[in-house]
Amino acid sequence: MPRKMFCIWLLSVSLFVGNTAMGQEEKRITVDLSEVSFSRFVQEMETAGQYRFYFNPAETDNLHITVKANKELFSIVLQQALQGTGFQFAVDVQYRVYITQKYKIQTALPEGFFDRKKNTKDTIAEPILFLKSADGDKDKLKASLEKKLFEIGPKTNTTGKGNGILTGYVRDIKTGEAISGAVVYVDTPAVKTITDQFGYYSITLPRGRHTLRINSIGMKDTKRQLAVYADGKLTIELEDYIASLKAVTVTTEKRSNVRSLQMGVEKVNIRTIKQVPSVLGESDILRVVLTLPGVTSVGEASTGFNVRGGAADQNLILLNDATIYNPSHLFGFFSAFNTDVVKGVELYKSAIPEKYGGRLSSVLDVSTRDGNSKKLSATGGIGILTSRLTLEGPLDKGKTTFILGGRTTYSDWILQQIPNSAYANSSASFYDLNLNVTHTVNSKNTLYITGYMSHDRFRLDSDTLYKYGNQNAIIKWKHLFNNRLYSVVSAGVDRYDYSVSSERVPVNAYKLSYDINQTHFRTEFNYNPNNKHSVNFGMHTILYKIHPGSFEPASAQSLVVYDKVPAEQAMEAAIYLGDRFNITPDFSINAGLRYSIFSYLGPHDVNNYLAGSPRSTGSIIGTTSYASGKNIKTYSGPEIRISMRYSISKDASVKLSYNTLRQYIHTLSNTTAISPTDIWKLSDSNIPPQQGYQVSLGFYKNFTESLETSVEVYYKHMDHYLDYKSGASLVMNKHIETDVINTKGEAYGIEFMIKKTQTKLNGWLSYTYSNTRLQMDDPIAGETINKGNFYPANFDKPHNVNFIGNYKFSHRLSLSLNAVYSTGRPITLPIALFNQAGSQRVYYSERNQYRIPDYVRSDISVNIEGNHKIKKLAHSSWSLGIYNMLARQNPYSIYFIQEGGVIKGYQLSIFGTAIPFITYNFKF
Amino acid sequence: MKKSIAVYWLFFLLFTTSCKKTYEPSVITINYNYLVIDGVINANPNGVSTITLSRTKNLTDSQSAKPEAGAQVSIDAESGVSFLLSSQGNGMYTSAPLNLSVNGKYRLRIATSDGSKYQSDLVAVKQTSPIDSLSWSQDTLHKDVTIFAHTHDPQNSTRFYRWDYIETYQYHSQIESGLGLKNGLMYYIDSTTQQYNCWATANSSVIAIASSEVLSQDVISYAPVVWIPKNSEQIGIRYSVNIRQYGLTKEAYQYWDILKKSTQQTGTIFDPQPSQVLGNIHCISNPNEPVIGFVSASFITEKRLFIDRRDVIDWVYTVPGNECKIDNTPANNNFLLYTYPDTTYGPYHFTTGFPNSTLVIAKKDCLDCRRRGGTSIKPAFWK
Repeated sequence: MPRKMFCIWLLSVSLFVGNTAMGQEEKRITVDLSEVSFSRFVQEMETAGQYRFYFNPAETDNLHITVKANKELFSIVLQQALQGTGFQFAVDVQYRVYITQKYKIQTALPEGFFDRKKNTKDTIAEPILFLKSADGDKDKLKASLEKKLFEIGPKTNTTGKGNGILTGYVRDIKTGEAISGAVVYVDTPAVKTITDQFGYYSITLPRGRHTLRINSIGMKDTKRQLAVYADGKLTIELEDYIASLKAVTVTTEKRSNVRSLQMGVEKVNIRTIKQVPSVLGESDILRVVLTLPGVTSVGEASTGFNVRGGAADQNLILLNDATIYNPSHLFGFFSAFNTDVVKGVELYKSAIPEKYGGRLSSVLDVSTRDGNSKKLSATGGIGILTSRLTLEGPLDKGKTTFILGGRTTYSDWILQQIPNSAYANSSASFYDLNLNVTHTVNSKNTLYITGYMSHDRFRLDSDTLYKYGNQNAIIKWKHLFNNRLYSVVSAGVDRYDYSVSSERVPVNAYKLSYDINQTHFRTEFNYNPNNKHSVNFGMHTILYKIHPGSFEPASAQSLVVYDKVPAEQAMEAAIYLGDRFNITPDFSINAGLRYSIFSYLGPHDVNNYLAGSPRSTGSIIGTTSYASGKNIKTYSGPEIRISMRYSISKDASVKLSYNTLRQYIHTLSNTTAISPTDIWKLSDSNIPPQQGYQVSLGFYKNFTESLETSVEVYYKHMDHYLDYKSGASLVMNKHIETDVINTKGEAYGIEFMIKKTQTKLNGWLSYTYSNTRLQMDDPIAGETINKGNFYPANFDKPHNVNFIGNYKFSHRLSLSLNAVYSTGRPITLPIALFNQAGSQRVYYSERNQYRIPDYVRSDISVNIEGNHKIKKLAHSSWSLGIYNMLARQNPYSIYFIQEGGVIKGYQLSIFGTAIPFITYNFKF
Repeated sequence: MKKSIAVYWLFFLLFTTSCKKTYEPSVITINYNYLVIDGVINANPNGVSTITLSRTKNLTDSQSAKPEAGAQVSIDAESGVSFLLSSQGNGMYTSAPLNLSVNGKYRLRIATSDGSKYQSDLVAVKQTSPIDSLSWSQDTLHKDVTIFAHTHDPQNSTRFYRWDYIETYQYHSQIESGLGLKNGLMYYIDSTTQQYNCWATANSSVIAIASSEVLSQDVISYAPVVWIPKNSEQIGIRYSVNIRQYGLTKEAYQYWDILKKSTQQTGTIFDPQPSQVLGNIHCISNPNEPVIGFVSASFITEKRLFIDRRDVIDWVYTVPGNECKIDNTPANNNFLLYTYPDTTYGPYHFTTGFPNSTLVIAKKDCLDCRRRGGTSIKPAFWK
């Protein structure tokens, strides 16, 4: 209640003011002060003139004044000194100066206040005291925070030697959400830290005065004046830079790419994702990821992506640390992430932090928002294909926030609208749901709960019905031990399942189902002893349980025999330790070691094969049964993660990294594109884990404040990559090892990137040259593909050019353009014709010896925002554009069929025409 | 607007033909000339085995087939007995009627005229259950007709099946002529010389296979074998098909399955990657030379089915549109003498009576059904 008391105090002062003598001469002051305390300033001013200052010392305690004047009017000097501090002043006729925050004191009563007779109608309608609002302008508020001196730790007279650790959170001023990846730094000495996924930072500063600068992509830069006496806390709120209508001066630390120790990391925030034109206006994270250098895919209708020559199953896709096994809807046309809930995406493609493991190529970390902690709000969108709605807000006075997002499609309805009755019996639908709850227990403990669910259903012409879905739940507990150490403990379950069923022919009616479940537990510690080291260590355990397939009758008349491929289970555990060591400000090294152990566990019957002979059902010499929980086979090994950075100059650096990785779970798929009915298989006695290493070297240079460039080269080697024998059957196969062949892979490439940020024109242009080759070198394969020679991988596309650009005409209108060029992917072509069974047939070449035509596509979109009145019911925006605006028929696949006894070749384009779209988005 | 959006949506979702266009592969002109073997060792009592040998051709070759002549082909039993096949021309080699042992194992041995030697793996004789029945149904929506085979094996031993067929259908010439022509003389047509009713015969050109591997009993129900497009001439009058059923080994089934998948793809994104078909025949003289084909030995069972025009619904069949030019020419004094110079025309009928009679003539294609490939002799099985 201090404010109330202060008001009364003000009132009493004001009443004494009265209407005393007016028109006294204003004094002229000569003063030269720099960064002095307010009391010192008052002292100076009071001596210079005959003024008497009235102020609240508690309020002005942290105020520091710099002012220089030579015989200036007193009021001008005062104005100059207080500018931007948020303080107001008022001078009455008796040279009394009132310094107040926020409200200005009226030193005179309104005219005729005492002359009531003249104006009898006016009773006491007018307040006695006029408090004029200083227009609560955000800029001033911000400016005042930037000028205010924050004392860290208990104030002492002498700052002394040693360091103080400053910790806290960086949040969004509007929603209170944590901002991860924000750079918190001081210039001298050069000390820098980056907020973690919770927006938390910890920085060690020498005691004394500092200017702490805070930058984050898409947010206004800010700074804080600090006086560090000891350890302390400071929460910093950042403003969205788009929200302001005034000219934007953004000075986000442009050196982040150059200065950051991380290598081969691509960060895309949700704003960029939403700007990119997309199929039917459905903002799609994975499609934006595909435009990044080093990322390719086999085709545009596939959300499976290949990072630097890795297979699609070598990407770990995490949604708030929950593993998503199938990140797609509608057989891969759309990604399964609701962009209203997503905060940003990070793709690690070369230096993978030691805390991640289990996949060979990359980690795609999708982080979601915590929800607005300040007010309840809703966002949504209505598109051609889907509608989405997201609700978010605080629950109990901001201690708990939630965000709940859902998306659903009305494709069934669209199918009914199609004149061709063939589709009348078809149906396709999907939905996904996200829930995040963040609960702050106290300043040391925070709980995070994430739930995710997706479901798809697809049936074409009343025949086979496909269903699949993800379910994930995770709970995380973050605990701060002290300013130097914190831990995150999490536990969760991930599940993916699918089923395929058909009831068209009653005796054959069947249902095939598959599911994978994993339970994981993770403990992670983060220790920052000083600015030279940042240590993290922890452990990670996953328990897998897979039901590789059950095949059962789906009707009473069905003759289908119930069959089941026995369940598989395994435990994967890893411990890791990593240290980021800043040896000098210019040279730093990040060294990590991860040791992973994988145990394939019973109950299971394992086939034994005749040693040295090709694996086939004929070479099974026996079966060994293992009891429940019995360890069948253990694989283990270290994984080394090293990267280093050397700054050549302020805006140029060189980085080098070396990574080794291991993968114990594999996708079995012999289709070109990943499909929802692909099977995940654990390593077992007959299928060893995939292993690989990658070396990469990068050079980074920033030319101007907003122009970043980089070149990275890499070489990657993979062992025990799985490929398939010709005509391998993967479904319901109880001896899958007879159909797969161990393959060796190698990939190398060079990636160039130019990125323009934070100006009216922003976006990137990238060019990648890469080469990915596979070689079947399994002595016991029996059959070799291409006679054991190297052959290009399905997704090997040597030349890749991507352009993503956005131009802001105004705050309400922006234009986005997207252009893609890539070499056509390799295919196997027929090389000869022959007659058999009454028709012409084709004889295929060796695998992947030819290529489909090159791929070229460009998209355009216009985003129109509604007006920027802050207070209105709903903020809305429209997004309209054209996907594939040149209507180029890019071949997705090429295939040959016999028609009337003759072989005909066809190319199939999935988006073979220009596809216009329009989407309406709202927020209230 | 809504409609057009729906259509766009459809384009990509349902892979309709709108986005499909023909693809001419860049010149793949090397002629590999691999040997191709087609045919089954017939284990039926007094069964005649027919083996066809041909060579692969390159994709741009318009020639319909490249038969391999002059080869020595024999069926060798495991016991050492060998049965030589005789060349029938056109790359076709047939055996004498043989009575192979049910429990025997046989292989095919081939020596081509260029001196290369080939042989298949030894294959066991596979039993084939009889076809229980054939049925057909017409799609209520698309009006096309599908013929299904149904079979079961009480011993549960056949399990893998392949079907092929010979179909025969009756058709008419556009005009029923009363006059025939032989050696420049016309004659009046009777039932033995008629050229209005014809029967065309064709072999199957699709691979029809099925397996009961996952079923508790060896039962095949509604296995589609023949497909007849709507309004096709095949059911213009009366249609008949003789379906032959072959029992397969699992390996043979896999061969046909891969061959079927690699040439009867639907073009969806979830098609398996095409792969080289690997049969059970090897070149002994050059082990690296690929040989195409899979030799099976099996019993063959068969069954016939008829479909009449009146049984199908909404069958809008029209005789293929030859331009039926009809003309007049004055009759000769020897009125059966035919002298019209344009040989694409033939006699149709006379107008009015003798002597000032006029001969009406028409294009031969319209008068004689045999000119479209069929025979005017009613097949023995035709009922």
